[in-house]
Formats: sequence, C-alpha cells, structure tokens
Amino acid sequence: MECAIELSGIGKTFGRGKAAITALDGVDLRMAPGEFLCLLGASGCGKSTLLNLIANLDQPSTGSIVRNTARPAVMFQEAALMPWLTVQRNVELPMRLHRVPKAERAEKVAELLDLVRLSGVNDKRPHELSGGMRQRVALARALASAAGTEEADEPSLLLMDEPFAALDAITRDVLQGELIRIWRKTKTAVLFVTHDVREATRLGQRVVLLSSRPGRVVREWHTRDIDGTGDSAEVTDEITAALREVISQHAAT
Amino acid sequence: MPRPEVSGQREQDGPKQDDPKQDDLSAVEAGLDALDAPVHQEPPRRLRTVLFNVLPPIAALVVLILIWQALWASALWPEYKLPAPGEVWAEFWSRASNGEVLSIIWTSVHRAVLGFAIAVAVATPLGLLVAKVPIVRAALGPLITGMQGLPSVAWVPAAVLWFGIEDPALYFVVLLGSIPSITNGLVSGIDQIPPILPRVGKSLGASNLAAVRHILLPAALPGYLSGLKQGWAFSWRSLMAAELIATSPALGLGLGAYLQQGNDLSEMSMVITAIFLILLVGISIELLVFRPLERHVLHSRGLTGAMAK
Ligand SMILES: Nc1ncnc2c1ncn2[C@@H]1O[C@H](COP(=O)(O)OP(=O)(O)OP(=O)(O)O)[C@@H](O)[C@H]1O
Ligand SMILES: [Mg+2]
Repeated sequence: MECAIELSGIGKTFGRGKAAITALDGVDLRMAPGEFLCLLGASGCGKSTLLNLIANLDQPSTGSIVRNTARPAVMFQEAALMPWLTVQRNVELPMRLHRVPKAERAEKVAELLDLVRLSGVNDKRPHELSGGMRQRVALARALASAAGTEEADEPSLLLMDEPFAALDAITRDVLQGELIRIWRKTKTAVLFVTHDVREATRLGQRVVLLSSRPGRVVREWHTRDIDGTGDSAEVTDEITAALREVISQHAAT
Repeated sequence: MPRPEVSGQREQDGPKQDDPKQDDLSAVEAGLDALDAPVHQEPPRRLRTVLFNVLPPIAALVVLILIWQALWASALWPEYKLPAPGEVWAEFWSRASNGEVLSIIWTSVHRAVLGFAIAVAVATPLGLLVAKVPIVRAALGPLITGMQGLPSVAWVPAAVLWFGIEDPALYFVVLLGSIPSITNGLVSGIDQIPPILPRVGKSLGASNLAAVRHILLPAALPGYLSGLKQGWAFSWRSLMAAELIATSPALGLGLGAYLQQGNDLSEMSMVITAIFLILLVGISIELLVFRPLERHVLHSRGLTGAMAK
C-alpha cells in the first residue's frame, strides 16, 4: 500500500557551530492513508519541529519527506484565527488564497461549519467565541486549506500540534470526541502531536514515542484498530512507563 | 499502578461507543458553546453617549469665553492685545457671512488632504520595505525615526529656495512632515503582528503577495491607522507652518496666510479667528474621520480598550 507520508532519516539542526541544537536526528516514520497517528514525547523533544517539516513550514537539515496527500491541513495550539474576519471569512480564507470561485466557497464553508457543528455563527468574530468554538473554527479552516489546489483530490492529511492543550478539561474531552467523529466521517489521515498519554491512547490507532534531544523514534504501540477496540487502560500504563523512562534517562546523562 | 475509578469510567465515555453517545456529545457541546462564549453587553444608548461626549467640551468652551470676557472687562491689557470675544466673533462673522471663511478653509484643507494622500501613497510601500527587508530597516530606520522628531518648519527655507514660493514648496514640507509618521506607524503595526498569523498564512498556502494583502496589511491595520492619524496631524501642522512663512498672492489665501495677514495688520481679532479656525479643522478631521475609523477597526477585533474612549 502507498504511504500517505514517508519520512526517512529526517534530521533537523537549528543554528550552527557551538550553539547548534539538534532537534531531530534520524527519524523514520510512515503513515498509511486515513491513519490516526499520535506523536508523543516530552516537552522540547522536537514534536512541533517534526510537524512543521511535514507541513512544509520548514526544511529538514537531512533526510527526505515524501508526501502523497493533498496540501496538509495544519492546526496549532492556538486557534490563531484572523481577528478582523468573521467566522465565515476565516474559514473562507484558504479558498480566497487559492482563488476558489465565490459560490463554491460559500458551499464549502457551510459544509465545513456543519461538520464542526458550528452552523449559525457565520457572522460572529473570533473574540465573540469560546476557546473550544475557536478551535473548531480553526479546524474547519484547516480542512479547507486543500480546496482549490491542484492536489485537492488526493487523500487528505490533518496535522495537529497540541490543538487541545490550552482548553479546559471538559471542552478538551468533548473536542476529542468530535475529532474522532470528524476523522471517521472525512477519512482523513491525522498526525496528532501531544504530550498527554491519555489523549494519545484515546485518539490514536498508533502511538509513536519520541525521545528527547535529539528526537528519535523510540517505540510505537498499536493502540486500537479502525473499529476502535482494544484495551487502552493497559496500553496507557505501558506508554506512561516508557515515557517516564525516556525522560529519566535524559536526567542521568 | 492503581487507577482511580473515575478514569476507568472515562474510557467508556470515549469515542469507542456508538451513536447514542454521539448525540449526547453534541448536546454537551451545544451547552458548552452557550456557557463559554463571552457575553456581550449591549452598547450604551446612543443619545447618552452623544450627550456625554458633546456636553463637557461645550461647557469648557463656554467657561473659557466667560473668563476671557471677564479678563477683557478688567482692562488689564490694551484692546490690541486682548480684544473682546464679541469683536472676534464680528470678525469671524464678517468673513463667514460672505462665504470667505469656506474658501480660506478649503484652500488649506484641500492642500493638506492632497499632500496627505501623496504621503500615504509613498509611506505605505516604504513602511512595508522597512518592516520586511532587514537591510532597508538598518539603513533607513534611524533616519526615518529621526525625521519624525524634526519640526518640519525646518524644511521651509530649503523648500522655498528649491521650489520658490509655489505650491510644490508647501507639498514638500507636508510630505516630509507626514511620511515618517505614517511609515513608522505601519512598521510598528507589522512588528506587533503575532508571529503565528503569518505561519498560519503559510500553512494555508498563501503566496508572498497574497500574504501581504490578506494577512500582513489587515493584521497591521491598528498600528497603521494610528500612524495615519499622527501623519495627518503632522501634515496639517507642517502646512500651517509653511503657509505662515511662505506667503505669496500666487498661493491664494489659506489659513496660514490669513493668520500672517492678521499679524501684518496687527489685528488681534483676525489672529484669534485664524487660530480658532485652524483648531476647528484639526478637531473636526480627528472626530469625523479618524476617531470613528479607529473605533470601528478596534471594536471589530474585540480590542475593547478603544470603546471606553
Ligand atoms: N527556531 C528555532 N531555533 C532554535 N531552536 C529551536 C527552534 N525551534 C525549536 N528549537 C529547539 O528545538 C527543540 C525542539 O523544539 P520543539 O518546539 O519541536 O519541541 P516540542 O516537542 O514541540 O516541545 P513542546 O512540547 O514544548 O511543544 C527545542 O530544544 C527547541 O529549543
Ligand atoms: Mg510544540
């Protein structure tokens, strides 16, 4: 089967000379189309760096990235909506950038806002929404980013960098449920970065643990199959132990 | 590791359950949306805000005129130094009734507006360059900031020598007065953009030009607008200084020239009328153009600090 993305030998070094920081070193990772993969690791281990490389926001120092998907939809920890645009226009923005005709834009916006269950707030401004609503608008906007590009028909890919980390527990819980629902409905591949083991096992079909400084793939777990069966409690404990081990190794050196 | 019961419960609430739970989820979500969305207060009633904004300055003006009248009545100063308020009004009215005031104001205002428009057209690309190209910033940044502090009257002699006492000399002074402010306003507007916004733009697939148009400029608008406001104040000020110094029949009678005429004739009532008119224009443009514009821009972004103003 063709991979959605294939990373081989990815390394990333910031700066040069003595002050250089090697954030990633020799990361190999493959993702199947439609797969939900969680990338787990301690703070500062290079998760965001890796995501940025896949999103093409930054270039790797070594290694290669093959992407067989449409332009990835990217979501960050902050919603980062444009404060001067209404919800409607925020979701529309990527399509305006790609010169999608107006009628088509309106249709797609309606479809996406319906998907994130936010129909009816089209004319509100970001500051009039709650944190959870803002993140859902950001998700709708991200999902629109492939529309109007040449590769729009390719399988889609959603990259999320701790998108729920800044939300309160209840909202986070609800949005995790929503994300799963949307993933099932859209059949998009999702690469979800988090440092929360529980979140990773709840969401991901596969959890990949990254070591710190430099970031490398340490281990991976298949946490559940597509239908969502499997005992997550046990796996959660196992992953937590592994994560602790990785972190304490770091303290020893 | 012993696991508390609650977390075991949580697993069952997870997405692994089927549709009834999903309905549940949407209800919870709707509840959260309703609870968490910031509540917006009704804007205060219009009439009240208008009264609150209009009455105090009028009262202050009345008090000022009363003090003036009292000082005049006390005859501490000779009439040519401090005329009666009524006399100034008579001067104003003699010019206003035949429409001369309008023509004087128009002569100056249209010059200032035209000069300001040219300044905006020059300063906007300049500001973009300074903000975005490090070498340009290093080269021109200090110069532009320095020029912002230079009183533009200082340019009048040079302008007169280069262009003669003609319109171009006035425009030259206006441009040098306002371009630095507008440029610096745009630069600081761009500097204050949260770095996440351009990154989002890039991730959404914005080309460089589209990023400037759809993200950079709108995001920098609050800073740009305050630069424009300051730029206008500077162009008005510079123009008055230039008109005051460089007077010639060829330039027509603007506010500055009218003020200079009062000076030449030692007519204090003319001088006061001129100052009053210069103030009036400055305040009107601020209140009618910039204040509402700024309020609208900040309000729509939820920057409520401006609403209290
Ligand atoms: N632009 C940069 N310049 C220099 N160093 C950087 C840069 N970006 C990241 N780093 C360094 O690379 C390492 C990995 O950073 P990264 O942000 O990818 O970690 P992370 O796993 O996302 O952490 P967190 O959980 O805090 O988000 C860190 O040590 C960080 O200091
Ligand atoms: Mg990060």
